[in-house]
Amino acid sequence: MEDRNSGVAPDRIKLNVGGKLFETTLSTLRTGGPDSLLAALSNRPANDTVPVFIDRDPEIFSALLYLLRSSHLPSAALRRFTKQELADEASYYGIETQLKSALLPVPLTGIDASIVSTIKPASDGVVSTFTTCDADGSVWIAHGGQISVYDWNLTHSGTVRTHLDYITGICRVRPDIAAVASDVVPGLHFYNFSNSRHVGSAQWTDPDDPRIYKARVAAIADSAESIYASYDCHHRENSVLVIDKSTLKISSEIFRQPGSSSKSVVPTKLKYVENLGVVFGSAVSSGAFGYSGYIRLWDPRSKTVVWETNEPGSGRSSRFGDPFADVDVELEGSSIFKVCSKSGDLGMADLRNLSEDPWVYLNDNNPSLRNMGGGGDGVVHCYRKQVFVGREGGLEVWRRADESEESTVNEGSYRRNYVDKEEDSKRGVIKRIEGGGDRLFVTRENVEGIEVWQSSNLSGAISVL
Amino acid sequence: MPPFADSRPHANGFQQTKQDSTSNIVTIDVGGQLFQTTKQTLSLAGSKSLFSRICNSDQIYVPFIDRDPELFSVFLSLLRTGNLSSKAKAFDLQDLISEAQFYGVENLLVNSQSNPSQFEAFNLEKSSILPLNGRDSPSAIATTPYGSVHVAHGSKITSFDWSLQKKYTNLTQFTAIDSLLAISTNIVAAGATDFSGLQILDLGKGVVRETLNWENVTRSSSTVQAIGSSPEYMFTSFESGRRNSNSIMVYDIQGSFRPVLEMGRYEIYGADLDSAIPATKLSWVPSHNLLMASGSHSGPTGVSGNIKFWDVRSGNVVWEIKEKVDCFSDVTVSDDLSAMFKVGVNSGEVFFTDLRNIGGENSWICLGDGRKAMNGKKEGFGCKIESHGNQVFCSKGGDLELWSEVLIGSSREGEDGLEEKVYRKNLMGRAKDTGERRITNLGFGGNKMFVTRKDQQSVEVWQSSVRGF
Repeated sequence: MEDRNSGVAPDRIKLNVGGKLFETTLSTLRTGGPDSLLAALSNRPANDTVPVFIDRDPEIFSALLYLLRSSHLPSAALRRFTKQELADEASYYGIETQLKSALLPVPLTGIDASIVSTIKPASDGVVSTFTTCDADGSVWIAHGGQISVYDWNLTHSGTVRTHLDYITGICRVRPDIAAVASDVVPGLHFYNFSNSRHVGSAQWTDPDDPRIYKARVAAIADSAESIYASYDCHHRENSVLVIDKSTLKISSEIFRQPGSSSKSVVPTKLKYVENLGVVFGSAVSSGAFGYSGYIRLWDPRSKTVVWETNEPGSGRSSRFGDPFADVDVELEGSSIFKVCSKSGDLGMADLRNLSEDPWVYLNDNNPSLRNMGGGGDGVVHCYRKQVFVGREGGLEVWRRADESEESTVNEGSYRRNYVDKEEDSKRGVIKRIEGGGDRLFVTRENVEGIEVWQSSNLSGAISVL
Repeated sequence: MPPFADSRPHANGFQQTKQDSTSNIVTIDVGGQLFQTTKQTLSLAGSKSLFSRICNSDQIYVPFIDRDPELFSVFLSLLRTGNLSSKAKAFDLQDLISEAQFYGVENLLVNSQSNPSQFEAFNLEKSSILPLNGRDSPSAIATTPYGSVHVAHGSKITSFDWSLQKKYTNLTQFTAIDSLLAISTNIVAAGATDFSGLQILDLGKGVVRETLNWENVTRSSSTVQAIGSSPEYMFTSFESGRRNSNSIMVYDIQGSFRPVLEMGRYEIYGADLDSAIPATKLSWVPSHNLLMASGSHSGPTGVSGNIKFWDVRSGNVVWEIKEKVDCFSDVTVSDDLSAMFKVGVNSGEVFFTDLRNIGGENSWICLGDGRKAMNGKKEGFGCKIESHGNQVFCSKGGDLELWSEVLIGSSREGEDGLEEKVYRKNLMGRAKDTGERRITNLGFGGNKMFVTRKDQQSVEVWQSSVRGF
C-alpha cells in the first residue's frame, strides 16, 4: 500500500467497486465520454484521496475498465459474461458506445466472412423480408405478419403483430417506426414499436382517376426527410409517391405510368442515393421469352428521369438476349451492378459516367469458379464497396483488386470469390441479401431463420489433440 | 438506490475493520472475501432475509458469514441489478436455490427466473419436457402464478417446483382426476366426474385436508365437473350421480372452505335439455366481478350448450348465451382484451364477443371462415382455448395458435359506438414442432406455458429464451 502522505499524481483516481479497490487515471475514465457516470466521477476535486464507492459487481467493472483503458474487451470477459450482461452494466456506467464499438464485428470483408449464427424467431420462422440499420446494427425482421426487432447484439428486443398476414416490404422510417407493405393489402402502413401500435397508413388516391384504387405497395426506400414508395393498382397503373417522414402523409408524386408494357410496370426495387440526391428504381419481369425490365434514376425535386435503360432493347447487340435478372446500386453512389439472366455475368455501370451503354461486363478466370451457371435467380446486393451475389444457394463476393480509385474499371478489375462453403449452398435458394452494421444477413427460400455472416480477426484454430 | 455513495474519510481506505454506523456502506466478510455494498441494496432483500439483519445490526466489527463467497457474489449482483449474472451458470440452479434459502432471498431468485412479467407470448419456444413416470398420460394440470405446476396423471399428482428442478408425486383416492386447481403452492382442489366429492389435498404433507360434498335431492353421489376460483371464493360445479341435478357451489377460499352460496341449482323434470347441462368450465372475470360458467351437451341433433355469467353476490345470472348453431368446443374470457373467445365445434374457427357491451344479444364475430359454422364435420372437436395476458392461445389438434390484438391508432368506430377490434393469429413454434399429437391441456405460470398432449407421459414447457438460466 502506498503511503498516503507522499505525493499522489493528481490525475489518478481510486474507485472502490463493491469492496474491491481499483486505481486508474482521470483520462481513462474520461474516455467514456462526457455524459458517462465515470466521467462525472473524474470531475471530483483532485485532493480528495478517498476511493469513490460504487455499489456494483467488481468483476464486470474490471472488464469494463479494461475496455476503457485499451478500447477492447479482454477475451476472457466474453466467455465469462453474456453480451446482454455487459450491455446492461455498460449502460449503468454510461459507456455503451465504447462497448458497442468493442463488440461490433470488424469491418465486413466478403472474402473472409463466415456464418456466425442464424436468428430464428420463436414462431413463423420463415422470414418474408427484413431490413437492417447500418447506424445501430439492428435488424428488423418480418415473419408471418409479425415484425421482430433484434438489436446490435442480435438479441430479441420485441415483436409487434401487424394486421397484415404476410409482409412483403419493410423499411425503418424513424428510430421506432417501421413502414410495412403487403402484396395483397393496399397501402403503406406504419407501426410504432415503442407502444406496438398501428400509427397510420398512406394510401394512393386520386379523385380524378377512378382507376387509382386499392393500390398496393411494391417497394419502399427512404432518405433523411422522405419515404419513397412505389404503388401498383389492379389495373397496373403505378406511381412512386413521396411521403413526408414527420407527418407520415403523402406529399407529392414523382411520376405515374400506365403499366401496360414491361417498360412501365411498377418498380420493385427502390433506393435513395444520398450523395447524388436521386431515387434509383428498377423493375424486372420474367415471362416465356425471358427477362425484361428497366433501371431508372429520378430527381425527386424536379420529378424528371435523369437516366434510364430498358432491357432487352438497349446497349450492344451481343448482349441483346441477356437482360438483367437483378440490379443494385451502391449507396455510396458510385456504381450500379446488374446480374445477367442468361450468362450470369455481372455488369457494372459507373454512375458518374452514365451513357447509352455504360456497362462493363466483369469477368474472372478463377478456375475454381468454372460452374458459373445462369443468373436466373440471381440476387445482387452492394455493401461496403463489395458486391454480393446469390446464385441459387451459393453466395459470392466481387471486390476490386486494383485499388486505385481513379483508374477506370475494366473487365478484369474485379475478383470473384465464394463467401460460403459448398455445404452452405445446399441449404436453399438465396432470396435476399442485405448488409448492416458490418454484418451480412441472408435469407433463403422456405428456410426458417436469417443467417448472419461476419468477418473476424480470430483464427478460430481447432485443436485436434 | 444512488449510483454511488461517497464514503467518509477513513484512515485507510476500506481496510478498516470497524463498521462506521453512520456510513451508508456496509462491509461483509463472506468465507474470507470482503464485499462492500450499500444499506439500500441490502434492504432490497426484504426484512426477513439475512441481508437486512446484517444491515440493521449495530455490530462494531465486520460481520462474518461462513459461506461460499462466489455464491454470495451472485446474490449480491441479483440485489443490485435484479438479474441473475452469468457467474451463476457455474452452479446448478439447485445449489442456488438452497443457498438462497440460507440467505432468505429465494423470492428474489424466483422473481428473476420465473416472473410472470417476463412472459413474452411472441417469443415462446418449446424449451423442455418434464417426463412423468408410469403409463398414465396427464388428465389435468394446475399452475401457480410463479410457475410451479401440478400434473394429474391417473390416480397420481406429480408436482414440480417453480424452477422445474424438483418434483414429488402423491397418490390420491381418485382413479383419474378431471379437474384440478392450485389454491396455494402445496394445496390443490381436485375432483373427478366419476368420484363423489371435491377433495382439498395438501400435497406437501400428502393428506386430504377436506372433502366437500354437495347435498342433492336424490341423495346420490356428487361428482365434480369443474373448479374455478377468485381471490375470495372457490367455485365448484357439481352434478348428482344420477345426472338429474346440478349446481354451482361457492366456497370461502381463504378460511375453512365453508360453503357461502349455492347458485343455479337445476333439477331436471321432463325434456328440458338445457337445464341438464352442468357447467364444465368456471372462470372468474375480475373486471366485471362475474363468474363465467359454460357447459355443452352432445346429442343426436348436434352439440348445444350455454354460457352464463353469474353475479356471485346475488346468485343471479346476469347474461346468458345459448349455443345452438356451431356450439363452442371451448370458451375463455380475456380480461385484458375485455372479450370472450370460443372455438366453434363444427367450424373449428375462433369467435369473439366484446364484453364491453355485456348483456347484449348473442353477437359472436367469427375470426375466420364463418360459413363453416353450418357444416357438420366437427372440425373444432377437442380444441382448447385459453387466454393469458393480452393473448389468446387456441389449440387445433396438435397445433397451437396465438391470437393477439392489433392496436390501431386511428381506429374506426363500429355500429355500437365502440372501436372495432382487429385480431390476428400466428402459429406457434417452428416447423419441427408441428404435426404432433393433440393438445389436451394448456396452463400458464410464471414466464412459462405448459402443454400436455394425448397419450404422452410428459409435460411440455414453452419459455422465452432471452434470459433463460
